Amino acid sequence: MLSEVAPPTARQVLEVDDVSFTYGRTPILHQVSLCVDEGEFVAVVGANGSGKTTLMKLALGLLRATAGHVRLFGTDLGAFGDWGKVGYVPQRATAMSALPVSVDEVVQSGLAAGTGLFRRRSPEQRQRLEHVVDLLGLTGDRRSRISELSGGQQQRALIARALVTAPRLLIMDEPTAGVDADARGVLRESLEHLVNVEGMAVVYVSHDPEAFAGLAHRVVEVEGGRVHTAGQGPDVLAEVASAP
Amino acid sequence: MNPLELGFMQRAVVGCVVIAAVAPLVGSFIVQRGQSLVGDGMGHVAFAGVGVAFLIGADPVLGALTFTVLAGLLLVRMGRAGLAGDLALALIFYGGIAVGYLFSSRANAGQTRLVGLLFGSPLNLTWGQVRVIVALAAVVVVVTVALYPRLVALAFDEQAARVAGVPTDRIVMALTLMVALVVVGGMSSIGLLLISAMMVVPVAAAAQLSSSYRTTLLVGSGIGAASAFVGLLASYYRDYAPASAIVLVAIGCYLMASAWRALNRRWRPAISSR
Repeated sequence: MLSEVAPPTARQVLEVDDVSFTYGRTPILHQVSLCVDEGEFVAVVGANGSGKTTLMKLALGLLRATAGHVRLFGTDLGAFGDWGKVGYVPQRATAMSALPVSVDEVVQSGLAAGTGLFRRRSPEQRQRLEHVVDLLGLTGDRRSRISELSGGQQQRALIARALVTAPRLLIMDEPTAGVDADARGVLRESLEHLVNVEGMAVVYVSHDPEAFAGLAHRVVEVEGGRVHTAGQGPDVLAEVASAP
Repeated sequence: MNPLELGFMQRAVVGCVVIAAVAPLVGSFIVQRGQSLVGDGMGHVAFAGVGVAFLIGADPVLGALTFTVLAGLLLVRMGRAGLAGDLALALIFYGGIAVGYLFSSRANAGQTRLVGLLFGSPLNLTWGQVRVIVALAAVVVVVTVALYPRLVALAFDEQAARVAGVPTDRIVMALTLMVALVVVGGMSSIGLLLISAMMVVPVAAAAQLSSSYRTTLLVGSGIGAASAFVGLLASYYRDYAPASAIVLVAIGCYLMASAWRALNRRWRPAISSR
């Protein structure tokens, strides 16, 4: 059953305009365009290796497009500096387990850019930290070693890290990969709150339509290096599921 | 006689304990980034600087510092260009030790002096050398404290740190330069080939005993300092090579910490099942 969702507003938080990307001599994406409005939940689907993650990395400036433009909050990516407005949840970071790292430290690392030299965190930052830890149900695990937690708890810590700066755009790459049903439930509740209460825009990359059922305003599909809208509105999941 | 009343032991203890306490601070970040052997490679490059310094009659510390800093800058640039693969690093690092030995032998630097630089000679430290070690260590501590949140974010996940607005290129540069400072600081005390062990082994030991990154960093620093102190005393009483004794004590700490952790894991389910 799909829940009621607020209609997207007109202001664009992400604009990918005619972007192409070639890896070596292999074209990955060809003249791709994607716009995300404030408060909009956009799901990006596609088979493994279709270029979903590449598209997100281009949107975040982690890869440089061979052609086209990316704008964040109306500013060209090269000139954009307000990164506190953008949260990013990558596919699970395996390097995280090389040394003991507590959940609290992972979440706090999201505040690194906003903390000055030798300075402690501001009261607002501490308040936000408490809020996201509570929102993602991590209060009891704050001092736990992250490598000893379940996949779902680890993923929630990464999401909390992305949310700790109170971003207006959250980009998540396969956030439910390897996550159990309970953790998916907590993640779903958190996303509903973020989109419907906090008005955050979410770009949710997944190959599993069930993961965003009832949450997405729009579904776009990456296929053969191109992007097209696969579904829109409340019947979005049915449209994606019935697509050939 | 109390060895700590002897001047050469006092200088050795201060020089070795200070650099062995600071090395794990930097080591924790390179281990977390999966670059545990960078310190070893920097030691090789520093040796090239020492060789050139011998040849032109300059201070070996200055030569090592110049070469490691230049190598650090080169490594960062190569990393950005995607050229810092295993083979490229091996060429730079082994080239460094080859150049170092070539120039040192041309300059007739003497085998004893070279062995001292490669494997450490803490009992021959002068107070001037100790002051250089303390100064380099102080710079590393100040930079680590100042940049700590950014270094941690970089070590956990470089891409996420970059998206969060951390100037990752500059932080990588700072970290690489700190590795260079530790290598040069440890050159005359623990040796160019063994100082990298003190960046890695105490951190590995501390990781067995800690549940957070900050604790690992602090415990690692403590294990490094304690290893230096115990290793020097062992070398005094048993006539061991001091730098080797220091590293072997650190490895002993790692083995004991690993055994403790393994036993703790076995006991914990037994206790909780009662």
